[in-house]
Amino acid sequence: MRPFVYTRVDDAAKAVSSAAANTQASFLAGGTNIVDLMKEDVARPTELIDINRLKLAQIRLIGEGANRGNIAIGALAKNTETANHPLVRQNYPLLTQAILAGASGQIRNMATNGGNLNQRTRCTYFYDVAMPCNKREPGTGCGALEGINRMHAIFGWSEKCVAVYPSDMAIALAALDATVKVQGANGATRSIPFAEYHRLPGDNPEKDNTLQPGELITEIELPKNNFAGKSYYLKIRDRASYAFALLSVAAGLEMNGATIKQARIAMGGVAHKPWRALEAEKFLSGKAATEANFAAAAEAEMKSAKPLEHNKFKVELGKRAIVRALSMAMSGGKA
Amino acid sequence: MSERKKVIGEAVSRIDGFMKVTGTANYATDFPISNTAYAFLFKSEIAAGKVMDIDTSAAEKVTGVLAVVTHKNAAKLTPSRGLRGGGILQDNNVEFWGEHAGFVVAETFEQARYAARLIEIKYEKAAAKTDFEKHEKEAVKPKAEDRADKIRGDFASAFQTGAVTVDEIYETPIEHHQPMAPHATIAVWDAADKLTIYNESQVVNGVQGAVAQTFGLEPKNVRVITPHIGGGFGSKGGAWGHVILAAMAAKAVNRPVKLALTRQMMFDSVGLRQKNVQHLRLAATKDGKFTALAHETTTHSAINEEFVEPCGDVSAHMYEVPNSRISYRVAAMNIITPTYTRGPGKSTGSFALESAVDELAYKLKMDPIELRIKNEPAKDPSNGKPWSSRSVVECLRKGAEAFGWSNRKAQPRANVQGDFYVGFGVACGTYPARQRDTSAIVKLTRGAGANVTAAIELAASDLGTGTNTILAQTAAETLGLDVNQISVKIGDSALPPAAGSVGSVGAASFANAVYEGCLKALNELQAKTNRQYFNAPTAAELLDAANLKFYETRVDAKPPEGTDKYSSHSFNANFAEVWVNRSTGMTRVKRFVAATGAGRILNPKTAHSQIIGGGIWGIGMALHEESLIDPRYGNFATRSFADYHIPSNLDVGEMKSVFINEEDKIVNKMGIKGIGEVGIVGVAAAVANAIFNATGKRVRSLPITPDKLI
Ligand SMILES: Cc1cc2nc3c(=O)[nH]c(=O)nc-3n(C[C@H](O)[C@H](O)[C@H](O)COP(=O)(O)OP(=O)(O)OC[C@H]3O[C@@H](n4cnc5c(N)ncnc54)[C@H](O)[C@@H]3O)c2cc1C
Ligand code: SF4
Repeated sequence: MRPFVYTRVDDAAKAVSSAAANTQASFLAGGTNIVDLMKEDVARPTELIDINRLKLAQIRLIGEGANRGNIAIGALAKNTETANHPLVRQNYPLLTQAILAGASGQIRNMATNGGNLNQRTRCTYFYDVAMPCNKREPGTGCGALEGINRMHAIFGWSEKCVAVYPSDMAIALAALDATVKVQGANGATRSIPFAEYHRLPGDNPEKDNTLQPGELITEIELPKNNFAGKSYYLKIRDRASYAFALLSVAAGLEMNGATIKQARIAMGGVAHKPWRALEAEKFLSGKAATEANFAAAAEAEMKSAKPLEHNKFKVELGKRAIVRALSMAMSGGKA
Repeated sequence: MSERKKVIGEAVSRIDGFMKVTGTANYATDFPISNTAYAFLFKSEIAAGKVMDIDTSAAEKVTGVLAVVTHKNAAKLTPSRGLRGGGILQDNNVEFWGEHAGFVVAETFEQARYAARLIEIKYEKAAAKTDFEKHEKEAVKPKAEDRADKIRGDFASAFQTGAVTVDEIYETPIEHHQPMAPHATIAVWDAADKLTIYNESQVVNGVQGAVAQTFGLEPKNVRVITPHIGGGFGSKGGAWGHVILAAMAAKAVNRPVKLALTRQMMFDSVGLRQKNVQHLRLAATKDGKFTALAHETTTHSAINEEFVEPCGDVSAHMYEVPNSRISYRVAAMNIITPTYTRGPGKSTGSFALESAVDELAYKLKMDPIELRIKNEPAKDPSNGKPWSSRSVVECLRKGAEAFGWSNRKAQPRANVQGDFYVGFGVACGTYPARQRDTSAIVKLTRGAGANVTAAIELAASDLGTGTNTILAQTAAETLGLDVNQISVKIGDSALPPAAGSVGSVGAASFANAVYEGCLKALNELQAKTNRQYFNAPTAAELLDAANLKFYETRVDAKPPEGTDKYSSHSFNANFAEVWVNRSTGMTRVKRFVAATGAGRILNPKTAHSQIIGGGIWGIGMALHEESLIDPRYGNFATRSFADYHIPSNLDVGEMKSVFINEEDKIVNKMGIKGIGEVGIVGVAAAVANAIFNATGKRVRSLPITPDKLI
């Protein structure tokens, strides 16, 4: 790999000031993605700022009064720890399921929550520096648009980029209406609603998200919800484990007796960001939780899908996945 | 004197297992050679044309770089015919994407890799043939004699008048071997004309010969050392370009050089299993007697290298059918040469044949096992020779019993369990049994306390399958010693020449040589003692009687005379139970049983591993593995294990293997038929047939991914 400087920092302030001092620097958390990308010459940071010593690994209860029950998970908490933390297991089983559906035990033991959010696409053209790719090298073209695009997007893509965002964890976070807390170079902090964190490719596919250069993710906040007992993460993949999703659905249902008060549905493997199925959610609001309604909601959502040459199957698969995820959520995760 | 203690056929644990799990077994690059430099390859990024210019200036400036070698300054060599895949920098032609364009040698691996990134190559592109669908129609008859059309009877009219017929195309994609250990080589020039290669080679003497000829050296001056192999599956059968380049690099910097391929490089450096489009036509009478069978394969090979795996072989030997036609057509394309891949031809061919038989059984409303048994041939239909042994019927019967076949529902979608369709499938497989010339040395030593030990030496190889162990067992039983009194030395071309661990010839060739060598030692010693024995004396007794501290003998073992009057093959029957999710199309093989008739089983423990390993690859072939080329460039778009899927633990349920007790006194002295290849043959068809039984969907194009089932 290309030579780089290794810098270890002890606190967030030092991390962001180091990043501000070198626009070519990258943070190093678990390293399971950034190091791979460097070996493949895809990422070429001149400096790695190791943030593993930052005190950002807690998972804690926050919120007062009406918000009592909200939690915050640290950017540097490991995926494994997060998935298995009692606060998460009890109140956000959707998040536990989504994290455990990703990667492998070894990788989840290294992977952090911040790194997970910022992992980059698995588009094979992005990974192969001999190929054109607007995300890796703006202006070179999109290799996948007319190439092998079975794994690629059916929603929200542009001619510039048809990649999908690969995280499982983030699909659950989207359904859970999480908030991403970040800290900038001057120490200023901001909160980014999850729906605004990742972005569609548009004309700038090189930007995966709305973080400003040098900004550090510190925590992810989760509001409490009323569908802990009725949620499900469904991941469809080419093999039973250790594969990225062909398509996934995170579903949560808040019931009011027999009718759906509120449905939350987010899809993975279909777009450049976690795809909130707002059409389906809207359709289901106030309706009975029946298979027929689930199917009609799925139909409504998938109507606007624009598949590419090799991923036409994702439209039908998406419908089935929405119905199945909702049915599984309704039955408390049991088939 | 007592009966020999039985060691052959016992479940002896690997004698090298401890070394392997404790990390003391040296694989290619593990040898602690001092003063090594590191080579890193760079590759062509076009599929056809010429390298016009290579700018190496930036790379040469990188700290630690010792040399950059391209076709412009590469040593001139005389490529051996045994060399595969080209790419040894003898000219500027590019025939496939990823052909080696040069290498950097540096003090460290990272320096070499970094410098290799800085190389700039200018090309003149030519039109590249990279799209199989487009060039399929240019396929012609192969040059290889054994791929000529094979015609028996009158297929056309027999097929036309068949009462029930199947006429379908079955497709299998490009697959890669991708053994756990990527290919790697250390090259050391001991003198200007003396070379040592640390490598992972399935055919030790083959690599020795190819390297010697390429560098114009005496074969005896090239020593290939390869004690352990981290899997090969055919990809480590030949000498590939990088082996030569490692030696070229060592010469260029006058130091030992390590050269290792990255996982990504493994996709375009060491061959592949070619894509096959198989047109299968099968006809039968109303009561299920086969009358006509055509198995016609179209595939691709490299521009200047022809390799066509024999898909039609299964159709030649499996069933009694009076009219048959087997043919191959091959298109030369700008894709790296295909090569032997586990169960060459048979694994892919059996997918077509055994799916078609299943389709016919369904049309005939017959049980697929009974249909197969009905068409069981008394002699090899391809040549009229008697079988030295054949246990297809026993495999089917015993396998069915072990599997619980009687619980199968003949109609698809009849077995629904919650969210899943459940299906059972069966398919047979076969692979030829052969013994090849192999020499071996047996050394007997009587040490302190009259402890007798034996050393067995031959240039065999162990793919990780347990060769070392079965040879120790063979020697132990033959000599009347314990396994722990035997040391086995293989994987070194300085030892007596041996066959390779390829084509399931390894066990038969090596073990028979060791067996004969041990017998020879005993006979020669007995002659020296001038005594008569009632029971066969042990090596210890004979050394004692002859009053010798050491005895050594060598044997040059050959296949027994007359075996060519028979047809010798291993056979199996594979059974799979699949669960297909009704809404997502995800498939899991919940249970798998292989029943195998492969002559004498030397070690049921390592044999079981071999068979279930083949079974798991077969499951991968059925459900996961596929290498995709982007025809616009000719590169593999699937170039890591994130895209090229092999089964994970969760995909594989219970794996069972049963062996048929088969005594074959004809095939060779020890009655060994070989199990390495046959284990994968028929597996993909068994899974595909089970998926049909589960869902009613017949998928004729592998792999069967969820999108094909929704
Ligand atoms: C073989 C394999 C299979 C996988 N399968 C899956 C899967 O099925 N599903 C899935 O969801 N994921 C999968 N992953 C991806 C895995 O989840 C990510 O690699 C991991 O979550 C990244 O976390 P990390 O801490 O290692 O990040 P790093 O590699 O350290 O960093 C990743 C990126 O995030 C940035 N970053 C890290 N922390 C912060 C922070 N606090 N603030 C701002 N930027 C930050 C880094 O600068 C870098 O750009 C797989 C990975 C591998 C290697
Ligand atoms: S889809 Fe996006 S990431 Fe993939 S090649 Fe196109 S631009 Fe690059």
